[in-house]
Amino acid sequence: MKLKYNNRMVKRRQFLKATGGAAILAGTNLKAVLTNLYAFSQKANLSKVEARFYKKHPDREIECTLCPRFCKLSDKERGYCGVRENMGGTYYTLVYGKACSIHVDPIEKKPLFHFLPNNQALSIATAGCNVNCKFCQNWEISQVRPEQINHVDFPPTSVVKSAQANKCPIIAYTYSEPIVFYEYMYDTSQQARKKGIKNVVITGGHINPTPLKELIQVVDAIKIDLKSFSQEFYTNYVRGKLQPVLDAIKIVANSTIWMEIVYLVIPTLNDTPEEIRSMCQWVLREIGPDVPLHFSRFHPMYLMKNLPPTPISTLERARNIAIKEGIHYVYIGNVPGHKAENTYCPNCKNILIKRMGYQIQIINLTNGKCKFCNNPIPGIWS
Amino acid sequence: MGISKVFIIRGKGILNQYGDVNKKKLAHMFSQGFSALTGGNTPGECISLNFNIKDRIGIKINTLSGRMLSTRPEVSLSLANLLSDNNIQKKNIFIWDRTNHELRDAGYRLSIDKRSINILGTDTQGVGYNPELISHLNIGSLFSKIQANFITASISLAVLKDHGLAGVTAGMKNYFGAIHNPNKYHDSNCDPYIAELFDTGLIRKKHKITILDALIVQYHRGPSYHARWAEKYGALIFSFDPVAADFAGWHIIEKLRARKGLPSLAEERREPVYLKTAEKMGLGKANLNEVKIIETEV
Repeated sequence: MKLKYNNRMVKRRQFLKATGGAAILAGTNLKAVLTNLYAFSQKANLSKVEARFYKKHPDREIECTLCPRFCKLSDKERGYCGVRENMGGTYYTLVYGKACSIHVDPIEKKPLFHFLPNNQALSIATAGCNVNCKFCQNWEISQVRPEQINHVDFPPTSVVKSAQANKCPIIAYTYSEPIVFYEYMYDTSQQARKKGIKNVVITGGHINPTPLKELIQVVDAIKIDLKSFSQEFYTNYVRGKLQPVLDAIKIVANSTIWMEIVYLVIPTLNDTPEEIRSMCQWVLREIGPDVPLHFSRFHPMYLMKNLPPTPISTLERARNIAIKEGIHYVYIGNVPGHKAENTYCPNCKNILIKRMGYQIQIINLTNGKCKFCNNPIPGIWS
Repeated sequence: MGISKVFIIRGKGILNQYGDVNKKKLAHMFSQGFSALTGGNTPGECISLNFNIKDRIGIKINTLSGRMLSTRPEVSLSLANLLSDNNIQKKNIFIWDRTNHELRDAGYRLSIDKRSINILGTDTQGVGYNPELISHLNIGSLFSKIQANFITASISLAVLKDHGLAGVTAGMKNYFGAIHNPNKYHDSNCDPYIAELFDTGLIRKKHKITILDALIVQYHRGPSYHARWAEKYGALIFSFDPVAADFAGWHIIEKLRARKGLPSLAEERREPVYLKTAEKMGLGKANLNEVKIIETEV
């Protein structure tokens, strides 16, 4: 793969070297990630940009109001996310402009299936996350502190320039948990929008309403991971709360930006037909039938290596339940080549978008409508 | 396990009016503490009974709160000197914490000279975290190579402090500084995380003695330093039982709080519940019937 840097085409390796020589490519090379993780001995190069969304309390204590954890921190302490620190009674983000992952991905990888299909997204992340999923696929960057991994200085202006140079019409805030690098994401989105670049957020949705509503003003699409439909699961396997995620989904649904939902199906933990049905009924009731719903396949990872990958039949069962309940666009993810990767017209049942993994093979849409029956298909298509 | 003993060695005049430590008195306090641990043996006998001459001993200190409220260099060096005076080679003593900048901020001079005592942070070049992800109960962490690989025996030499979430931070929570993700373990008053982290093999099997630096005790608004609620307590606390040591520390904090008219930690809904969890897990004792606190002044 070639990327553009300083107006010249360079190999991916050269790009990384040029941008600091240390960017970690999330999910692509575990060995490289681990090497970076343990070789952080140089002086930490962290940002010191005042965070948004916190309250000051007496005696240099603060309370973070960005996410539902509401971390209360004494001087010199960090929040659960590990990337925001109370320094003398002022709260700072340590990861503003400090990207640990930079990659150009197809938008289908996020996954966003109804948002500018067949386009590339410059995808960035910093260290940190405000939950701790036992099945995290990117724990090497999400569950560490910023000084424990290598990162590059990649301020908002550079991100936008890099997106332009690499002909990416989209910037994706992804891989770890972009909520924890809110300020960086927000400022980058503002600058990108001025240049006509779209912004998409790939998140667990564990965020408070006020910051979410502000974020919605500057981004174009959000993919939310609904990790289960039970608080017990969120308590035991996510270390978070379900209700704020449901609230976030409703807030996004009531806005003008695009949203898709991913449900990672984990064998024995969140895969019962009852739970899937309840979740689908909630989606229908609160959002409607047109939000794309992706059932993704689990693979053993991080602290959950004792379970097998999700059987395809379980995913198909979940999809059938969702369709039977009335959801129009239901996908199966992480199973390349499965027919449920395709988008079907809910009216005439023809294939609208044929996919193979992250590749788009056919698009049968004209001006956002089914080419065969002229049925309008919800999404951002151009 | 029978009765657990905790020895509080108070040093009369250990701190002068400026807060400086009387080093001679401090060394005497350590001698007294080590002697008391083994029922009146000499410190050397205590050390030889509990450490192998070839042990590489980690002294895990806490330097999160800067110069005013970290394990003082005078304290950790006094302990290191006691060990080296009793047949532990200096090169096999590691005074350590998470980061070099925190060590420096707390007044330490870093050293990785093979001929002297090692003073280093996990972020020292070539150290870092062990690549093996340790999963145990609710814990999933990478451990500092110092704890995981370098040392064979450990002393937790923590500062006794009030803690806004855990209630008390002392010898057990000190090991949060041995892992890469302590921020993930502060929910629910840090419970059961403090106990479960201690229960991991890399800590439980290596931990030998808890010593609490209670020369100055932050009894309110911790873990940060606030002069208004910091008491010159002038003590070192010794125990083989890590739970009992913290239990005794908790009672000191409660007494200081009561004396100053502050509500108890239970009233502030931050009683150190991790102690009960630790006791249930068999890590030590946390009840007045089975913990004997013996206070001596030198």
